[in-house]
Amino acid sequence: MSAYLQLSDIQVSFNGFLALNQLNLEVNKGELRCLIGPNGAGKTTALDLICGKIKHSAGSVAFDGIMLDGLEDYEIARAGVGRKFQVPSVFRELTVSENLQVARAKHPGVFRNLRPGYRRADDEAVDRLAILVGLEDHLNMPASFLSHGQTQWLEIGMLVAQDAALILMDEPTAGMTSQETQKTADLFLRLKGRHTLIVVEHDMGFVKAIGDVISVMHLGRLLAQGSASEVESNPEVRKAYLGSGGITHA
Amino acid sequence: MPLHNSASSSASGRPSIELITILVVCAIIFAVPTLLNNDYLLNKLARYLVLGILAMSLSLSWGYAGILNLGQAMSFGLGSYAMAMTLKLKTVPVHTGPQGLPDFMVWNNVTSLPWFWQPFESHLFAICAGMLVPAAVAAALGWFMFRGRVTGVYVAIITLAAMVVLNLVIIDQQQYTGGFNGITDLAQLEYFGIAFDAYSRATYYLVSFCLTGALLLAYAFTQTKAGLIIQAIRDHESRVRYFGYDVGAYQIAAFALSAAIAGLAGMLYTIVMEFASPTFLGVQLSLSVVVWCAVGGRQSLLGALLGAILVAGVQGALSESAAFVETWTLVMGALFVLIVLFLPKGLAGLAGSLWTLLQWRRVDGISPVRQFHQTEGGHERLSSAE
Amino acid sequence: MDQFIQQIFTGLSIGSILLLVALGLSIIYGSMGIINLAHGEFVMLGAYGAWLMQTKFGLGLFASLVPIFLLVALFGWLIERFVLSFLNNRPLDTILATWGVGIMLQQAVRLTVGGELRYVKMPELLSSSTEVLGVQVSLYRIFLLGMAVVLFALTWLLMNRTTVGMKLRAIIQDRSIAASFGVNSRRIYGLTFAYGAGLAGLAGALVSPLKSVSPEMGTTYVIDAFMVVVLGGVQSLIGTVASAFILGELSGAIAFLQNDTVAKATVLLAIVVLIRFKPQGMFSARVRA
Repeated sequence: MSAYLQLSDIQVSFNGFLALNQLNLEVNKGELRCLIGPNGAGKTTALDLICGKIKHSAGSVAFDGIMLDGLEDYEIARAGVGRKFQVPSVFRELTVSENLQVARAKHPGVFRNLRPGYRRADDEAVDRLAILVGLEDHLNMPASFLSHGQTQWLEIGMLVAQDAALILMDEPTAGMTSQETQKTADLFLRLKGRHTLIVVEHDMGFVKAIGDVISVMHLGRLLAQGSASEVESNPEVRKAYLGSGGITHA
Repeated sequence: MPLHNSASSSASGRPSIELITILVVCAIIFAVPTLLNNDYLLNKLARYLVLGILAMSLSLSWGYAGILNLGQAMSFGLGSYAMAMTLKLKTVPVHTGPQGLPDFMVWNNVTSLPWFWQPFESHLFAICAGMLVPAAVAAALGWFMFRGRVTGVYVAIITLAAMVVLNLVIIDQQQYTGGFNGITDLAQLEYFGIAFDAYSRATYYLVSFCLTGALLLAYAFTQTKAGLIIQAIRDHESRVRYFGYDVGAYQIAAFALSAAIAGLAGMLYTIVMEFASPTFLGVQLSLSVVVWCAVGGRQSLLGALLGAILVAGVQGALSESAAFVETWTLVMGALFVLIVLFLPKGLAGLAGSLWTLLQWRRVDGISPVRQFHQTEGGHERLSSAE
Repeated sequence: MDQFIQQIFTGLSIGSILLLVALGLSIIYGSMGIINLAHGEFVMLGAYGAWLMQTKFGLGLFASLVPIFLLVALFGWLIERFVLSFLNNRPLDTILATWGVGIMLQQAVRLTVGGELRYVKMPELLSSSTEVLGVQVSLYRIFLLGMAVVLFALTWLLMNRTTVGMKLRAIIQDRSIAASFGVNSRRIYGLTFAYGAGLAGLAGALVSPLKSVSPEMGTTYVIDAFMVVVLGGVQSLIGTVASAFILGELSGAIAFLQNDTVAKATVLLAIVVLIRFKPQGMFSARVRA
């Protein structure tokens, strides 16, 4: 019986450099998995691979019984994979509410979206989402006016709007104050169960607050996996982090 | 709590204000003949309106979808030739062959009407072809480009090259197309019992009617969710993809719609000018459309339309004297450079910023100056998106 | 056989003109990412420079080359300084701005010098032709080929063997990092653009004895030059050379077999297809995105 998301023997090479090398990773449905590791461990590459941004040279990716290999990036998204990028990626020239409307992508076809009158249908849902991410006062503001933290929140809100079964978060708390980080942690805990999440983070406090199982990557492969205390006491993990001054400050 | 009507928002009111402005402008255009009893001037004005439709069509693909189509005149030219072909077949023959062959075919020793000319015996076919052929060509070109995820500068080069190729082919195949001279000596379009003489109110009203229809159609498109999604694609293409939208399909749709409207403008242009010429799909015209759009405001349908009328109109008014035109071209070049540098959203953007300033003055909010600067800064970053 | 060799020489001659015109564009596009639609007008200015030197100062073509290079380069520097430097990170808008500049230059020339065709005399020394491999070849065309090769070599050395070239390559890699190491990117960009413009001016002066000089002459050159750069691959000087001669031979051959129009259309179509499937050009190394 295979897991909800299963990466098997993945290999990704950039001009001969193996960014992912025999990576195996399994995530169960409804889980909130944290992915940590020193710089260059291949965490972002792993997320890029799952959402179809890059292609692998060997191995396979299976999600909810579907093989993702060879699917286009938008097809992977339709299969239920959502992605938040490390550099917050929103539509800067559109307003907050328009951003959220675009993210509501239950029906991605062109002809379906040519019908008039979508705005009314979406208004209520958009209001709820805006309240969820604390942007209800900025609904009609272009996203380029938002602060860095607010932009992060907007992108998280867009992923909730997308309602993807599997959500990939790349450093969602970067640039947030500790208060904002706490709010993010609360939100993630609420998403857990209904969605499956994979979160790449450097902030160990945040990771401990949200993660049940932590996967540690190093040199393009899975190094260790377990609870926070298990991972922290693992000698191999300590060794991997030694160069960057210990796990908590990585 | 109705969040969408909060007083401090400028965006929520914008769509309806835009619609009202469109309707007012169209009403003014319709009212002109009652004040102006000069068929010669009406013809000129109709010509500028047609060019306005063309600029508006480019705004749809360039301003909204972020597709800088340097070959927009290709669609325009195709429409223009479709209309010219059907009108040519209805002309009173002066030098014709056995089956009423167009004169230039007789001169080139063509003995029977080529198969692709035959359906143009029907006006209805020609009118449909004038929009559907450009749309289909654009869809095919769009499929070719956007399925391969060609973006930015390369789109500009490909569209320009495609247009130049078609232009060369039309000039080269003169036995079928009239070559360098184009198709001249046309009959008048007659429909619903009305003859559309180029110098008549009927033609002016026809143009105004089509302009209103095209403008409302384009506006309606921008108001659908698809219209929102193409703007999102312009902002951040890959982000849209990771929400599951097939970006290429949306780009093709916007590109084809824009081409169909340009084709409509081309047909009207033939009626107003009474001929079709390879210059209608030339580099000169195609790049001029980009200028009109940039001056008026590429991200505003109405702005692009008025930009074309303004620039082409001034150029036309000055064309009485050669020296004026030459100087004007120089001034136009300078003006254009300045607008590209400092007003990326054109005059419509300027109007929008002023409007926002007024709004902020009325309600306590962020200081207007800051608001203005942020807007400008936003454009800087966004227009760099490739 | 003679026919074939004649054809090869025609192709080489077209290719050398293409290379002359495209070299400056390649530098500007490849290093600064600027689509310089005013490039054709720089070529035109160079041609008018040659005409002006000849009719007003009685200078021969050879003597005019250096002043023309400097003048057009100065022009380029001014345009970079006062127009393009406002358009950092807006590559699509550089197309529009440079096109506007091109219109202005064309119009300014038309207003001052007039719109009629001008002719530049070929240097006496090179106006005859010689026999190479059994066919008659014009000496001037051989000279053009030589100039194209020399200018290319100079440019290559400049880019790869001088400090300015090294700094430029650093900026291409990462502008902000180069700046943090004290590279004055403003100055380097200005110089690069000026050099590219100067090359275009030289190209204009060099082709002027073969073609009639008019304010509109630049328009055809800019499209051709663009095709060369795109085909050769951005940031690849060697690619520019290869593609200039490939396009030269190709259009020569098709023009011989069919006609000029078909040749132009075919070359354009080929390039469109190439962009679609290999946007980085034929000869450029793979760059990590």
